[in-house]
Amino acid sequence: MGAIGDELPRLSGVAVHGYGAYIPMFRVKASEIARVWGVPDSELPVLEKSVNSLDEDTVTIAAEAASYAIARAGIEPDRIGAVYVGSESHPYAVKPTGTIVADVLGINSRHLSADLEFACKAGTEAVELVSGLVASGMIEYGLAIGADTAQGRPRDALEYTAAAGGVALLIGKSGDGAIADLEYAASYVTDTPDFWRRSHERYPMHGSRFTGAPAYFHHIISAAKMVLEDGYSLDEFDYVVFHQPNTKFPYAAAKMLGIPAKKVEPGVVCNLIGNTYAASSMMGLAKVLDQSKPGERILMVSYGSGAGSDAFVFRVREGILDKRGKAPLVSELIERKRHIDYALYLKARGKIRE
Amino acid sequence: MHAVFRPPVNWRHRRFRYRLVVWRCLNCGAVHHYATSICRRCRSNRVAEDKLPDRARLITYTVVKNPPVAFEKQAPYIVGLVEFEDGTRLVAGITDCDPEELKPGIELEKVVRKIAEDGESGLIVYGYKFRPVITRSH
Repeated sequence: MGAIGDELPRLSGVAVHGYGAYIPMFRVKASEIARVWGVPDSELPVLEKSVNSLDEDTVTIAAEAASYAIARAGIEPDRIGAVYVGSESHPYAVKPTGTIVADVLGINSRHLSADLEFACKAGTEAVELVSGLVASGMIEYGLAIGADTAQGRPRDALEYTAAAGGVALLIGKSGDGAIADLEYAASYVTDTPDFWRRSHERYPMHGSRFTGAPAYFHHIISAAKMVLEDGYSLDEFDYVVFHQPNTKFPYAAAKMLGIPAKKVEPGVVCNLIGNTYAASSMMGLAKVLDQSKPGERILMVSYGSGAGSDAFVFRVREGILDKRGKAPLVSELIERKRHIDYALYLKARGKIRE
Repeated sequence: MHAVFRPPVNWRHRRFRYRLVVWRCLNCGAVHHYATSICRRCRSNRVAEDKLPDRARLITYTVVKNPPVAFEKQAPYIVGLVEFEDGTRLVAGITDCDPEELKPGIELEKVVRKIAEDGESGLIVYGYKFRPVITRSH
């Protein structure tokens, strides 16, 4: 860490003590969606995507991911002082997701709770907020959760990728048993209308190709460059995780930054589960934590439409060795799957109307 | 507006439905899923808060194809009778599997899922269900 100056926006004394991922078991193949709409399946953005079952939503997905984070951390839920859930698919328009999640987890009432929203970076916003609360000493531990059951309009390009999943990070002070220290956090945000959903609308709209260069790539690369300007060099990162709306984008962003594909590949899950929106980059982080070694550094940059990117640097600690096996790995959740056809997909996603 | 689920009742039962918190009679062993100071079976006042385990074994099950109001969206769904290590039995939704995968005696784990929805505008009710234990390969 000698390269980093004291004046830089790095965090001190904040660490991940537990992490947990959850992926619903249903999958629909992109080729099945393409079959329905008569689209050639030669250039589909992913192989298949996860689909929540009829009894799953952002609340249940967030709660299960968080239960795994608590299991890994091995702490009593009553020590958690904040529950933030980021999502673009909160089940209620008014009635917090976080309060239900906290009660399911047995967290006592003395905690902060808020639902966050910022398209696909709502989950990493939660990471920033909880980290700040821990760093300030206001709370001992906090849960930062990104979870979604993302909506894709039938026949729209997003229908192939809009998926379901959640990831929770349990964040506390650095110290014994920590899984990874959070060394750095910074955000890059602009007013860029690449993707939106108006009130009371069921499906989002997007700017097609406009979601690429001025949106995803501009923000991801600008945020990553901030990390480099603030003193890190690319050589210091063993893994790089970018938001993954499709399989191509994270590799393309890495190429623009001169990052070798082999540092990106360990965190890419999009091809097998699609874009889990608020959980997308955090899912990549969880998969990397599943395989990383103490001392390794991870750069994670999220992206949320509208638009912004949060950049984080994690340094893996010894705690990963004991804690990793205490909850399902991302690979195990990916392997737990059942394919459904387009008709059952429509039913599961509530697209059949009486 | 007619509400299928009254908020106070839903709220009162949440600890049981979310976390399987029960009130157990220390005299006769009866289990209550709501806070009570008197056992409804033996009238003893020796009732203590307890929590049922997160794992249970399947006794039997049925498939519901003609669901009651507010449960329509999930049909067909499986309802099972499960038994905990201490012999306590509970009727629960069984999820993440097809009926063909279920055999009496298999181990199940508790999850919290959507139980029912009161139309498009009413409450969403969450609570315990059980599913076959996730296979760990590593």
